[in-house]
Amino acid sequence: MSAQVTAKMYLKIWGWLAGLMLLGVLLSELPISKATVVLLVLGLSSVKAFLVVLYYMHLKFDRRLLALVLLAPVVLVLLAVGLLYSSTFVRL
Amino acid sequence: MSQAHAVAVPAHLAHPTATGIPNGKLGMWVFLASEVMFFTGLIGAYVVLRMGHPSWPGPEGHLSVPMGTINTLVLICSSTTIVLALAASQRGAMGAVRRWLLATVLLGSTFLVIKGFEYSVKFHHHIFPSTNVFWSCYFTLTGFHGLHVLGGIVFNLWVLGLTGRASVWASQSHRLELAGLYWHFVDIVWIFLFPLLYLL
Repeated sequence: MSAQVTAKMYLKIWGWLAGLMLLGVLLSELPISKATVVLLVLGLSSVKAFLVVLYYMHLKFDRRLLALVLLAPVVLVLLAVGLLYSSTFVRL
Repeated sequence: MSQAHAVAVPAHLAHPTATGIPNGKLGMWVFLASEVMFFTGLIGAYVVLRMGHPSWPGPEGHLSVPMGTINTLVLICSSTTIVLALAASQRGAMGAVRRWLLATVLLGSTFLVIKGFEYSVKFHHHIFPSTNVFWSCYFTLTGFHGLHVLGGIVFNLWVLGLTGRASVWASQSHRLELAGLYWHFVDIVWIFLFPLLYLL
C-alpha cells in the first residue's frame, strides 16, 4: 500500500480536497441559479468523496470485492434518493 | 523440537481468508456500507422535507459559513493526518505514528468543540431542534454526525494506546487501518453535510 501512495501524494490530495472545498464555498456565493449551484456544489462534494475513497481509503489499490461492497449502498442510495425526489412531484 | 523464532503474527494474517481480505477490513467496509444507508435515510429525509417546503427557512444568516468552512478544513486535515499515521506505521516509524494519531484526535476534538460552540450560540438565541423543520434537520444530522466523530475519536485513542508497547503493536497494528477507514467515512459524511446545510 505505501509503495503505491507516498506521503507527497497524500498531501497533494489534501490540497485538492481543501481547494475544491473552498471552490464550493465561492460558487455558492455567486449570483447563479439555485439548480446550477446545487449541481456544481454536490458534484464537487462527490469528487472530494471519490478522492478520499480511492486514495485515503486505498480502494484504488485494494481487491475489487471491497469496491463491490461499497457500490451496493451507492446503487441503493441513488435508487432511494431518486424515488424520494420523484415523490416531491406528487401532491396528495 | 525446532527452535523457531517467536514472531508475532498479526491476528488478521494468522488465518488466511477465502476472500484474501482480512476479516476486520472486510467487516469494516461492510459496516461502512450500512452507515452509508443510515446517513442516506437522514439526508434523504432532509432533501424531501426541504423540497416540499417552498418557503424553507433557509440557512442564510442563520448558519455561520466561515465556521462551517473551518470545521470542514479541520476534518479534511484530520483525514490526512490519520493516513500519514498509517504510512508511518507501514515503515515502522512508531514515533511518527503516535504524533500523527494524536494530531488526528486533536483535530477531531477541535471539530467537536467548534460544533459545540455553534450549538451553544443557537441555544442562546432560543433556537432548538423543536423550533422548526430546518433546525430539526440541522440538529439531527449534525448531532448524529457528531456522535460518529466522538466514536471515531475514542477508536483513535484506543489505537494510540496500542502503540504503547511494541509487543502489542506487532499483532495489533492492523487496527490503525480500520480506524482510518472509519475516520475517512466520517469525513466523507461531513463533505456532503457541509454544503447541504451551510451552502445550499
